[in-house]
Amino acid sequence: MPDEFLIAKELHKSFSEIKAVNGVSFSINRGEIFGLLGPNGAGKTTTIRMLATVLQPDSGEVTIGGYSTHQNAPKARSLIGVCPQDLALYEELSAIDNLVFFGRMSGLDGKEAKEQADINLRLMGLEDRAKGKIAKFSGGMKRRINLAVALMGTPEMLFLDEPTVGIDPQSRNSIYEVIENLRDKGMTILYTTHYMEEASRLCKRVAIIDGGQMIAMDTPTALKSQIGDPDKITLEDVFLHYTGRSLRD
Amino acid sequence: MKNLTHIWFIALKDLKLFVTDKTAMFFFVAFPFLFILLFNTMMSGIGAEDERITLHVLTRDDSGTYSQMLLEAYETTEESKLDPDDHSPIIIWLKDIDYATAKQQVEDKTLSGFVAFPKGFSADIETFKNEILAGEKPLHFINLDSQLEVIVDPDNTDQQIALNGVANIIATQMNAMQATMKSTALLADDPTDAINTFFQQLNTGQWAKDLPSVNYQTTIVGDVEAGNPANYVIPGYLVMFTFFAALQGGAQIVQQRQNNTLERMLTSSVSKEAILGGTFLGIFLRGLLQITIFWTLGSLVFNIDLGIAPAAVIIISVLMVLMSSACALMLATLIKTERAADGIATLTALLLAPLGGCWWPLFITPKWMQFIAKITPHAWANNGFNKLMVFGADFSSVVPEMIALLCFAIGFGTIAVLRFRTSSIQ
Repeated sequence: MPDEFLIAKELHKSFSEIKAVNGVSFSINRGEIFGLLGPNGAGKTTTIRMLATVLQPDSGEVTIGGYSTHQNAPKARSLIGVCPQDLALYEELSAIDNLVFFGRMSGLDGKEAKEQADINLRLMGLEDRAKGKIAKFSGGMKRRINLAVALMGTPEMLFLDEPTVGIDPQSRNSIYEVIENLRDKGMTILYTTHYMEEASRLCKRVAIIDGGQMIAMDTPTALKSQIGDPDKITLEDVFLHYTGRSLRD
Repeated sequence: MKNLTHIWFIALKDLKLFVTDKTAMFFFVAFPFLFILLFNTMMSGIGAEDERITLHVLTRDDSGTYSQMLLEAYETTEESKLDPDDHSPIIIWLKDIDYATAKQQVEDKTLSGFVAFPKGFSADIETFKNEILAGEKPLHFINLDSQLEVIVDPDNTDQQIALNGVANIIATQMNAMQATMKSTALLADDPTDAINTFFQQLNTGQWAKDLPSVNYQTTIVGDVEAGNPANYVIPGYLVMFTFFAALQGGAQIVQQRQNNTLERMLTSSVSKEAILGGTFLGIFLRGLLQITIFWTLGSLVFNIDLGIAPAAVIIISVLMVLMSSACALMLATLIKTERAADGIATLTALLLAPLGGCWWPLFITPKWMQFIAKITPHAWANNGFNKLMVFGADFSSVVPEMIALLCFAIGFGTIAVLRFRTSSIQ
C-alpha cells in the first residue's frame, strides 16, 4: 500500500466564464516525483496554485501529509515548498538575504535560516555569489536561487512549476541533479514542464492535463505502451497523441 | 507571536530595500532637501527686507521757522531707522533741494513723491497768534487741508496713499492746534501767558511728537509676519514627500503581488494578516525614517522652530506617516498593475501637494481654496504644522487636525484591509 502524501479530489476552478480546472483528481506518493504535463493554458499552474493553498478551489478537496488545505492550511503549508514559474525573488536584495528572509518566513530562527541558506547555496553551486544582488544574476542563476528559496524550511514536498524554463543546458542539468539528489533523500515532488525529456528523466509517474481535465496518468513507460512500442515511442509522442497537434494560445 | 515575528521581518526587509535603493533615497530624502534649500533661500529674501516705506517732505515756507520745527520733529532719526519694532514710515526732509527741483525729480521718476508745506506757513501762524493775543476773534484760520501739497508719481500707488495719509495727519494736527489755541485764549485767566506757553511747546517740536503719526506696516503672510520661512517650507515638503514615498511603497506592493513574492510568503506559512501588517509596517517605518531625517536636518541646518508644543509637531508627523501608509496600502489594493500604480501614485502625490498647501502656505490662499483643501489630508497636516510652527499655537489647538488625520488613516486602512490580496489572480 503506497503512502499517499498528496491527494487531490475533484478539483474545480473557474475564472469568470472560463473553466480552468475541471474535475482533476490524482495522488502523489511520498518520495515520488510526479510530472504534470500539458500544453499552455491546460490548467497546470492553476492546479499547482490550488494545491499550494494560494488559490481556493471552487470545489474539491486537497490533503497534504494528512492535512486538509481547506481546513488546516497553515499545517499543510508548513510541509511544502513552492518554486513558482515566475521568479518570486527580491531582485534588489542579495542571494543570501533572499534565502534568509524566506527562511525566517518559513519559521526558522536567525541562525537556522543562515545555516540553511549556506547549505542551499552550496547545493546550487552559488556559494561564492551569496552576497551578489539577484538583479545582477544570469537567468540560470536566478532559477537556481528560486529553487533554493523553495527548499528553505526543509519542506517535505516541493511544487516545481517549470523550474528550468528559459535557461541554458548547464543550468538545467545542474537543476536536474539537485532534483535527483532531493528525490534520493525522500523528497516528494510535483513537477510541471514542457520538456518531455526531463519528465522522462525525472518523473516516476506523469499525468497529462488539457482543457482543465486529466486525460492520462501513468508511468512514462506505461503511457508509451498505450500507443505503441515503448522503445520507439517518446513521451513527446504520447503528449501529442493525447493533446493533439493544433496550436494553443 | 509568530505573526508578530513575521510582521517585523517583512517590515525590516522593506526597510532594507528602501535604504539600499540609492535612487529612492535620493528622491525621497536628498532631493526634498534640495527643494527645501531652494525655496527656503527664495522665501528668506522676503522676510529679510526692510519693509518700511520712505516718504519725503519739504517746505516752501520762507517766512519763519514753524514749518522747519515741525519737519525736524517729523524727520526720522537714525535711532528710529535701526529700531526693528518701529513700523512707521521713514520720513526724509529734503533740505538740499527746492520745490521746483523736487517736482522735476518726481516727473523724471527719480523721486517717488513728497509733501510740501506752503509758502507763508509761519507767517500765517504768527498772524493767527497775534490776533488771539490782541483779543480778536481771528478770521484767518489756517486750513492746511487745502494748502499742504502732495506731489506724487501717479504710477506709485503706495506713495500716493502714504503721502496723502501724512498730509492728512499734519493738517489734522495743525487744525487741532488752532482749535486748542482758541480755546486756551477764551478760557484761560491769563491768555497771553497760556498762548506763549503753547507756542513754546510748538517751538520745541513737542506738539508733533505728542500727536499720532502715520503707521505703516507691511504684511508678508496673512496677518502674521513669518520669521523663518523654513518653518512652513519644511513641513510642506515633509508632507508632500512622505506621502509620495508612501504611495511609491504602495506601488512596490503591487510589484510584489505581480512577481509572486507576496504569494511565496503565503506558501511559507505566513498568514495573510501578517503579510498585510508587515507591508504596512514597512511603509510606516520608511516614513518614520524620512520624518526623522527631515526634522533633524531641519533643526540643525535650517534652524526651524517647533513652537511651544513640539510633542504636537511629532504627533502630527507620525499621524501623517500613518495616514500615508494606510493610503499606500489602499492604493495597492485598488490597482492591478505596477505601471498603473506608479503612475497613479505620482499623479496623486503631485495633485494633492499643491491643493493641500505643500507648495505654498494655505494661509496665504483665498478662503475658498482653504475650504477645498480640507478634502486632502495634506491640508490638515499642513494646517497643524503652520498653527504650531508659524502662529505659535499650543497642543490643544491642533487636536482637530490630529483627529482628521486619524480619521483619514482609519478610512484608508479599512478599505485596504477589506480589499487586500496577495495574488494577482483570485
